[in-house]
Formats: sequence, structure tokens, C-alpha cells
Amino acid sequence: MPDIMQDPLKGLSDALVERVRGMQWLVARIEVDGRPMRSGTLWRKDVVVAAEQAFAQVAEAKVVLGDGANFAAHFAGRDRGTNVAVLKLDGAPDPAPALQTAAEPAPGALALALGADDAGVSVRLGVIHSVGPAWHSRAGGRIDRRIVLDMTMSGREEGGPVLDAGGSLLGISTLGPRRRVLVIPTATVEAVLEPLLSTGRVERGWLGLALQPVLVPEAMQAEAGKSRGLMIMGVAKDGPAAQTGVLAGDILLTIAGEGVSRPAIVAQRLGPQSVGQPIELRLLRAGKILSLMATVAARPLE
Amino acid sequence: MSVVPSRLRIAVVGPDATARNRLAMLVARSGHEVVELTAAPDAILTDGAIDSLPSAPAVAIGAVEGDLAGRLPPHASPRQIDAALRAVAAGLTVRGPTPQHPGFGSFAEDGWPVLTPREIEVLAALSEGLSNKAAARRLGISPHTVKFHIESLFKKLGAASRAEAVVKGLKRQIVEI
Repeated sequence: MPDIMQDPLKGLSDALVERVRGMQWLVARIEVDGRPMRSGTLWRKDVVVAAEQAFAQVAEAKVVLGDGANFAAHFAGRDRGTNVAVLKLDGAPDPAPALQTAAEPAPGALALALGADDAGVSVRLGVIHSVGPAWHSRAGGRIDRRIVLDMTMSGREEGGPVLDAGGSLLGISTLGPRRRVLVIPTATVEAVLEPLLSTGRVERGWLGLALQPVLVPEAMQAEAGKSRGLMIMGVAKDGPAAQTGVLAGDILLTIAGEGVSRPAIVAQRLGPQSVGQPIELRLLRAGKILSLMATVAARPLE
Repeated sequence: MSVVPSRLRIAVVGPDATARNRLAMLVARSGHEVVELTAAPDAILTDGAIDSLPSAPAVAIGAVEGDLAGRLPPHASPRQIDAALRAVAAGLTVRGPTPQHPGFGSFAEDGWPVLTPREIEVLAALSEGLSNKAAARRLGISPHTVKFHIESLFKKLGAASRAEAVVKGLKRQIVEI
């Protein structure tokens, strides 16, 4: 008879069960109007973090933690840029969580994603599929790492904690394009948590422009010094770009001296520190280059 | 092989009498016979939970719990309801279109082709349903040039028709900053 202590597969399985048992009380089931919507992660004693994209219009929720404790909660802040929403609980579970931030993730390492499903806590096990550098979301937020997990996930489980093999927190799960499972890293959540709790939002620079990548017409490439730019598809009324005279149809070539073949480059220039700062826009209009100075404003509330 | 009759026996169930009547009328107008749940229907139409174990495949409208053969969105059209009833009666599974959630992604992740300013203008004209001639008039260029840009759009977007070019072109990412 094989010795159970010597059976590595049984050992792994037992360790996983034990890990889930120890961590499940951090998993929040977030219910809106009596229906479970998504998962969340108990981040601090009365703060649950979730993926923002599912909660665009929601103000109140009920939070049921993995150990059955339940709390009324309200959305204290949300940031579409980093896809982080913060819920404040009416009351606090005991003890408060003491999360360990995971070390630098590596492709191939095991990742355990917890979520809340009908039955209670649900578990996904996979490897870290890939780890990319910092990236910018469509909504302009900076995500510290692009961590893709090799697993599938239901919508209900989105927002739960993703743990490394040591039980440290890699971040929270979210569904990316084509339902790939991504991680919003712990560092990214931490960076927006304070502003979200104190002001409800994360301030980001705003010019009031709708942009689309465009090929600079060949005849003007020499004049422009580049083959790609961003065509201005729309200018927000009274926004910083409108005030400095940017018109729809102009092609944006550089921002603060940097070429803008991709919108992500503009987003990088419009981080929280850019608000109130002057910024130079070089544009192509009717075959001529022109330079305009705009003052970056704070992105208005949606 | 059994053939699905064109006139089906449909049981309509649901918690609300008004909604039930509306669905029953709709089913009758599609040429089906509305029967009681106990009268061996070919299919069941419901907009609420089914208490007992369904005796026939059921089509649910809106969010209804349970393992059901057919699921339609709350605003399904009469044609869709009719098609779904026929399909489940024939033993098929029916699901409405799932809303395409783009997911949390980055800028220009898909590497969409980069268009020229003129191609963007021509695409805008196509999306309004303008003919080549009308597009040419609006843009102040010849119809021949419009045709040239459309061919280039087809190639860049991998489209075989004007409609496909418009659909694919609409997916391009406009970023608000």
C-alpha cells in the first residue's frame, strides 16, 4: 500500500484544500438587489476591492464573506482606468485581513484564484501564462504588470483574490478581451485605494479629444516627419483642447515633444500629475504644422 | 424521424396574468395552439420560474432560473420567440446573443489597420448609406476616387461588402482623452 505521506499528488491536493480553507474568508460575494453579481476581495478591515467594470451604475450592495459573515456596503469609490472599485462595509469583520503582497510574478508559477459562486467559495488553479510590463487601459489607467492567467473564469468569480503558491496576494482577477483572465496587481490597487477612499475617484489628465490612429497622407509625411498620427475625431466643448483652438480633422503628431502613433502614448502623458500643467500639441492642419499650448484639466466625472 | 408540425401546441406559464395573456396572444398569432401545461404541449413559453418539472422543452424570456432549453433576452421579438419555440420543440438548444462585453483591455490591443484620413471620411459616408456618387459629392472628389478608397478599405479591413466594411470599421477604437 502506498504511503499517503509519500504521495505528492495527494500532498498537493491537501495543501490546496488547506490553503483555500485558510483564505476563503477574504472572498466577498457581492450582491446587488438580492442577486449575486461578482466577487470581491476583503482588502482591509472594512474595505472590499472589486473589478469596476461590472458595477458602473451601482451604489449599494450586500457583501457576504467566505465565512458567512455579511455586511451592508456602499461603493466608496471607483476608477474605470484601473478597473478598481472600492466598497466600504457597514461594520468590520474580525480579525482584519493581513494580506501579504506577492513577490514579482513569473510565468509558469502556480496561481490560485478564489471567487464566490452559488455554492460558496469557488476555486481556480492555473499557471501564470505570461507577465508583461506596465500597460495602459482603454480608460487611461496605468496597470503595473500585465499578468495573464492560464484559466477560465465565470463572470461571478471576477474580482476575487489571486494568490501565488505561497498564499501571498498577486492581485484581484478581472476578465479581459475575449474573456482572458487578467490580474489587477496588488500594487495597482494600492496606488488608487487612498484617493478612492478619500475622494471617490482618481484624478486623471484630460484634453477633451476623441482620437483615432491615422496614416499621415503621403504628401505630408515629409513635413510632419512621421507616417502616423492621431486624427481628432471630436473635440469636447469647452475642454482644454477646444479652448486652445484644436479642431476636428486635425492630425495630432506630438504631445510634449513625443510622437503619438498610438493613443496609449497620450494616456501616459496624462497621468494624475499632469492636471494643471501646460502641454504642447503639434498638429497637422491643411498641410501645415501648427503648435498649440493646452492646459491639462482633470477628467470630468462620467 | 419525426417531423415538427408547423402548428405547435404551446403552454404559456408565468407569474403575471397580463404578461401571460400577452405571450399567449403572440403565440396564437404565430399560428400555434395555446394549451394547458397538463395537455402534453410541444413546448412551454415562460417569463418566470417553472414550479414543477417541465413536461416539455421550455423557452424562457428574461432572467429565469433553471436548466432550460431556450433562453431569450427580455425584449425578444415575436419572430425570435416563434423561432425559439420551433427550435426547442425540435430538440435544439436556443440562446439569445450574449452582450459582447469588451473586457478590461488596453488601447488598440487588436492591432486594427490604420486608415488614412480620406478612408475614414469615405467609411463615414458608407455608414450613412450614401452611394459612391453621393459620397463623392459630399467629399468633393470624383466617384472614381471614392471607389479607389473603398477598395483600399475592403483590403485593409478584410471586408467583402460595404456593410461588412462599415461593421468592421465601427469596431475601430476611438479613444477619448
